[in-house]
Amino acid sequence: MSIFEYNGSALIAMVGKNCFAIASDRRLGVQLQTIATDFQRIYKVHDRLFLGLSGLATDAQTLYQRLVFRHKLYQLREERDMKPETFASLVSAILYEKRFGPYFCQPVIAGLGDEDKPFICTMDSIGAKELAKDFVVAGTASESLYGACEAMFKPDMEAEELFETVSQALLSSVDRDCLSGWGGHVYVVTPTEVRERILKGRMD
Amino acid sequence: MPNPCKQTPNTKEDAPSHFPSSGCSQEIPFHNSSSFFSHRKMKLDTSSLESSALTSRGIGIGAEIADAPAFQVPEVADFDGFQKAAVQMVKPAKGTTTLAFIFKEGVMVAADSRASMGGYISSQSVKKIIEINPYLLGTMAGGAADCQFWHRNLGIKCRLHELANKRRISVTGASKLLANILYSYRGMGLSVGTMIAGWDETGPGLYYVDSEGGRLKGTRFSVGSGSPYAYGVLDSGYSYDMSVEEAAELARRAIYHATFRDGASGGVASVYHVGPEGWKKLSGDDVGELHYKYYPVVPNTVEQEMVEV
Repeated sequence: MSIFEYNGSALIAMVGKNCFAIASDRRLGVQLQTIATDFQRIYKVHDRLFLGLSGLATDAQTLYQRLVFRHKLYQLREERDMKPETFASLVSAILYEKRFGPYFCQPVIAGLGDEDKPFICTMDSIGAKELAKDFVVAGTASESLYGACEAMFKPDMEAEELFETVSQALLSSVDRDCLSGWGGHVYVVTPTEVRERILKGRMD
Repeated sequence: MPNPCKQTPNTKEDAPSHFPSSGCSQEIPFHNSSSFFSHRKMKLDTSSLESSALTSRGIGIGAEIADAPAFQVPEVADFDGFQKAAVQMVKPAKGTTTLAFIFKEGVMVAADSRASMGGYISSQSVKKIIEINPYLLGTMAGGAADCQFWHRNLGIKCRLHELANKRRISVTGASKLLANILYSYRGMGLSVGTMIAGWDETGPGLYYVDSEGGRLKGTRFSVGSGSPYAYGVLDSGYSYDMSVEEAAELARRAIYHATFRDGASGGVASVYHVGPEGWKKLSGDDVGELHYKYYPVVPNTVEQEMVEV
């Protein structure tokens, strides 16, 4: 198995009507052995910007710490939060700095930009941005996730319906993957609130 | 080390061979089926002295494995390289959990039902407990095709034994048949880690047989990538004097814990019991539901709650 499949992960971000959802699985494993079933893969950068990191867990944690540091510096200098598009460019630049010795991570960035327009994007491990208007996925179950999202996605879903769609897509995909699953963690972000929910999934 | 059995043919030819060839090979640790037959031809079995790589190649030693079904060897320039590539291609990682143990009331056999190809789950409903005949069970770990084929082959051989000898084959005999066949294919890339469980005249029997040619008699076994987790639960909860229900619950629990920790095990935990009348399937529980049955979700106590005034 490759280094990207060492810990196992599954991430989705999906766009709705003036809102977005970002969801991950909760397993941390060492190849086939499960070590933890409450691993945090999605981090809040600020109230309207969330970052999910799939791939090698140690690189995900280190990368997150570096990005939080950069964002805090930005906040001190600019006296405001970073826009999602700007943050995506920052992540891309930091990943490309390590072009010849990369972080083994695939980030998924989801945020609300100007006029509460949802923004999602993903990148490969060396910073190639992929902007999408509907959904992005990452992780060991990514092929299953693409299929499930493609089938279940509808444009302009409201927050509740978006939550249902994302949860079903995530759970049905990780049920076909040995290395991810063991529950789900979903954040649904609207201009007024953030709802965090834990999903009951198959624990095998 | 001089082989005391190596005498000139003349001295042995007239005397009836009281000593079966196994007496001769006692000095040499042997597993090979050919020693069974060599006493007829007065040919001494030296195959266990050579490296198994030579015998498995089948070059000019066809007589040694005459009884095992022969497969055609591909004609390529680099047979070693081809063989390595073929073995690597079909190499399954024994991603599974199976267990079996003997207790007062017979043998309890349990297994999960997940088939995985690398990281992808190809099926959650594989039958890993193979019913060889109404009183013999085999478990599947390793290559599914290998296990299914050779267990069915074993079932055929057991039936032939019954017809030829007018009595059922013992668990010892059945496991030996399978072990000898697998040994003759040693090094060719079969992947089989199976347990043969049954009830015969001597009572309950349990053997572990694998594709490296190993065969072990025992009272508690677990095979597969999830076996360390299953052993932990099985060993700590085991007692010879359990009732059938207690033993079934122990087996189910052990499989459940293995599916929780091991990524390559999951699906349905099946439990079979082998008693004096033969085997009976006791239960097949979905492991996803078993988790919430053993560990129901308790809503977290809310420490600080904002309430609308």
